[in-house]
Amino acid sequence: MYREAVTRPEEIERAIVTALPGARVRAADTTGAGDHFEVEVVAAQFAGQGLVEQHRLVYGALGALMPSIHALSLRTRPPEEKAG
Amino acid sequence: MSDTLDEIAREVRENPVVIYMKGTPRFPMCGFSAATVEVLDAIGVPYKAVDILAESAKREAVKAFSNWPTLPQVFVGGKFVGGCDIVRELHARGELEPMIKAAIAERASAAS
Repeated sequence: MYREAVTRPEEIERAIVTALPGARVRAADTTGAGDHFEVEVVAAQFAGQGLVEQHRLVYGALGALMPSIHALSLRTRPPEEKAG
Repeated sequence: MSDTLDEIAREVRENPVVIYMKGTPRFPMCGFSAATVEVLDAIGVPYKAVDILAESAKREAVKAFSNWPTLPQVFVGGKFVGGCDIVRELHARGELEPMIKAAIAERASAAS
């Protein structure tokens, strides 16, 4: 069985917080199969950055995990902006 | 790969709106591609769709071109705008339509 391909939401959260210290991260496994995730990241490092740059920071943080993640839905914002 | 990169550069330069996607707008082969096409169709302007399943050389080339790891990818006015999540968010904020209309107007004035 290809157990090594399964990623847990906690691994995603840890990888992002490691790369973006202080970030608030919520990762949810949307199918329970360990390869489809919804991730929300609120990080001071995003301030002044466009959405493309914000998402690139998260993709960079996920680095080694990316190949095992089949689908990733991402929402990012700096702390002062309201979600919406 | 460099020929393919040149072709992508030409596509995004010559077309105000381009989407690199899995499948076609009528028959998208991935939920993210389908959702992104839905946004473009809601705006109601013509766009060029490139099916990377049919043109497989572009699948990795477009990722290298934009330095972005996932598909679909949308370009407006020659500039990389984002994938599904960003396109949907820009649309929700009301920012996507003016960006697209400006790119179409710019392309029309450049052509005249």
